[in-house]
Amino acid sequence: MSIDDNASIDDDASIVDDARSGSGQRGRGLRVEGLEVAYGGVPAVRGIDLEVKAGEAVGLIGPNGAGKSSTLLGIMGAVARSGRVLVKGEDLAGFPPEKVVRRGVALVPEGRHVFAELSVADNLRLGAVARRDRTGYSEAMEHVLTLFPMLRDFGHRQAGLLSGGQQQQLAIGRALMSDPDILLLDEPSLGLSPTAVDTVFEALDVIRAAGKAVLVVEQRAEFTIAFCDRTFVLHDGEITLTLSPEDAEKVDVLTKAYFG
Amino acid sequence: MTGQLIQSLVDALSAGATLGLAALSIGLVFGVIRLANFAQAEIITASAYCLIFTWQLGWFIAVPLSMLVAVAMSLLMEFAVFSRMRSANPATLLIASFGLSFLLQRVYELMFSNNVRTAPVASGLAQTVEFAGVRIQLLSVATITIAGLLLLGLHLFLSRTSMGLQLKAAAADFRTARLVGIPAGRVIALSFALSGILAAAVAFVLTVQSGAVGPTFGVQITILALVGAVIGGIDKISGSLAGGFLVGFVTSLLATWLPQEMSNFKDAYVFVLVIGVLLFRPSGLLIKGRGVART
Amino acid sequence: MTTSPRGLWYRLGPIWSLVSLLAIVYVVTLINSFLGESVQVQLQYALVNLIIVVALQIFIGTSGVLSFGHVAFVAVGAWTVGLLTIDPELKRNLLPDLFPFLFDLNAPWLVAVVIGGVVGGLLALVVSPVLMRLNGLQAGIATFALLGVVNQVLTYWSSVGPRSGQSMVGIPDVLNLQTTMLFAMAAIVAAWLFQRTRPSRLLRAAREDGIAAASSGINVVSQRIIVFAVSGIVAGVAGGLFALTNRVVQSSQLNIELTFVTLAMLVLGGMLSLSGAVIGTLVFSLVDVLLVRMQNGLEIGAYVVSVPQGARAIILGLILVGMLLFRPSGITGGREFVWPFRSDRPLPGMPPTNES
Repeated sequence: MSIDDNASIDDDASIVDDARSGSGQRGRGLRVEGLEVAYGGVPAVRGIDLEVKAGEAVGLIGPNGAGKSSTLLGIMGAVARSGRVLVKGEDLAGFPPEKVVRRGVALVPEGRHVFAELSVADNLRLGAVARRDRTGYSEAMEHVLTLFPMLRDFGHRQAGLLSGGQQQQLAIGRALMSDPDILLLDEPSLGLSPTAVDTVFEALDVIRAAGKAVLVVEQRAEFTIAFCDRTFVLHDGEITLTLSPEDAEKVDVLTKAYFG
Repeated sequence: MTGQLIQSLVDALSAGATLGLAALSIGLVFGVIRLANFAQAEIITASAYCLIFTWQLGWFIAVPLSMLVAVAMSLLMEFAVFSRMRSANPATLLIASFGLSFLLQRVYELMFSNNVRTAPVASGLAQTVEFAGVRIQLLSVATITIAGLLLLGLHLFLSRTSMGLQLKAAAADFRTARLVGIPAGRVIALSFALSGILAAAVAFVLTVQSGAVGPTFGVQITILALVGAVIGGIDKISGSLAGGFLVGFVTSLLATWLPQEMSNFKDAYVFVLVIGVLLFRPSGLLIKGRGVART
Repeated sequence: MTTSPRGLWYRLGPIWSLVSLLAIVYVVTLINSFLGESVQVQLQYALVNLIIVVALQIFIGTSGVLSFGHVAFVAVGAWTVGLLTIDPELKRNLLPDLFPFLFDLNAPWLVAVVIGGVVGGLLALVVSPVLMRLNGLQAGIATFALLGVVNQVLTYWSSVGPRSGQSMVGIPDVLNLQTTMLFAMAAIVAAWLFQRTRPSRLLRAAREDGIAAASSGINVVSQRIIVFAVSGIVAGVAGGLFALTNRVVQSSQLNIELTFVTLAMLVLGGMLSLSGAVIGTLVFSLVDVLLVRMQNGLEIGAYVVSVPQGARAIILGLILVGMLLFRPSGITGGREFVWPFRSDRPLPGMPPTNES
């Protein structure tokens, strides 16, 4: 797997320009500047800049080990990080995950990680731990149950007994219970049947239309590029390319270039 | 014969309940921060000392005070030591708790001397009642009742309250719990506090039983509780409870029914059993699959 | 390492670490032998502990698996030497329940110590196929269970020892400080040589990167069995020396407390290196010697430094807990000594020269 370093630097610069020239202060979106994550001295993310505006879906694709998940975990504060993570003009750097959630960012983790032994209803309740208001809570619950009617039928079932697709819906529902402005998803299509994937992305479309900022990490390049308003290609911890939905047709070339 | 059988079963139930509570107190904390706290022994000892020293003031003072001491000790350990070792692996944490245990034992020696302190704590419970030809220790019945009530209370707390739910989630999957927005510090403190309450209950039962407390009072039961928790499956709250109960139950039955010259070796039989269980079910009796516990 | 293009000192680095450890043990023994009878006695115990800690390090440091069970091997070693060295007449009177063949079984103390090592190693070998499959907390509990079984058997089984809970007395006074020191040095050399063997290297590789080791076909369990048995031999020898030093053997002395103290020494020095085992034991023991003297009022010039009775164990406990809090990798940080005058030191953060 090789990559032209010069090209990547140029692209990097253009993204920075892109992000800066956008209406960065619009408020409810997410802006990341110079994010770096390292595990025991080994860098996984090396200075990423990106912006996700409200009502926008942004994709992150790249080969395994490119730093996609680390980027999301870095934003959440779940791993040691440096750089700026801006939400509503506030820098969340140094915040632990529970505080990041309280600033309106929620993550749907890779592999779903629903609390398998708890009921569906309890899982959703836990998603709302970060919020204090009672009225907002019932509203969010209603919203989630409308988005995923299946969850209403299975309220008392143990989450571990749901199918993969149902668990993914629950995981997204749980994240939405905190009423986030920014929703991060780590490989939501992983291991799901095609119909289940459709359900998930239809829901994401609704969520985006509702004015939330969506940042989704995916393996399926073509699908993601077509769905998202912008898609960044991540390689070795750096953004090496920015793609728009029209680029989805050229994905074969991309696959060769980036996924070897 | 049947009378003796019933009597030994009641005693075994009571021993199992005590050890189950002790194992649960260790499992609760382990589930959240992967700490198998050996110094739980010294929490039990502190609580027992408190009972001995304050019993003359009346049980309504001594019992709540002993609980308070246990909870305070438990939280103090968390804030002073374990909260500073979050990135350490379970083996290092276990050794640290071992060190803390050793340290506190010596502090107790210095404060209360090596000799045991005695007081007739709830001596009324030490009687034996005869019921339809069956002699039963009142304390065994009391122990089973206390354990039952505590477990019921804990169950209601974990399943009905928001804090309890958060603790349950954190014990099942701490990382995801944090990502969902559950405050780490608060649930950890909660697990230590609950663990302290359980330790106080264990201390009460043991103190009534022996009436005498020394610096290493809590060590024996903590070792067995740790062993029980691991073979039951320390990864799961119910696993710790069941494993602790099993070890207590079996040990008690062996002590009653083995002939004298063999009953000396009862702990050895239990330990052999433990090794066997670990070999075939390394992550615990109650955990499915052969995978090794996440550590 | 043998193909290293760097200088002679680089290749001699590991030998330097061995030589310096032996020198430290020698100098410490030499200095202390001038400090009077009581210090000499304490030092002899410290040297026996040193061998136990080296045994622990051979296993824990190599495999990365915790063992609370090594004192079981120490105990059987001590038992063996006790049974083989006590005068047969005395044995008949003191230990009347022994298996008859044990009454007349006798051996010179040196042979007895060697047999003690063999018995320790055999016990380790017998239990290892079971224990070595386990990891992490499970391994800790299982090894602890082993200690529990062995201790109970030795406490109550009067066919191989004294009646329940009593002690074995009458062990001859044959071991002096110098000989003990030579044994300690031999243990260090043995551990150092063993570090260079294939099982030890494979296991360390597996410890550092379990997945890579598994995919390269290392059978971790069988390597662990070898390492466990070797450390069992060393622990058994230490047990024999303990019997000859203490001259009384009692199962209660060979239980949790000794397990804890020796583990504390290892943690203090740093589990991952032989230097850690040696330095940890010596520092712990020296602080202990100092504290014992302070409890009786230590005169330094015109001043008398003293600590209250009982404070000694508390201070030792504080040192250990503090070390775990602030420097969990121990005094040596898990590294071996390296030749201090070398220009081509390894980069910071890289493994030290002798691949520990």
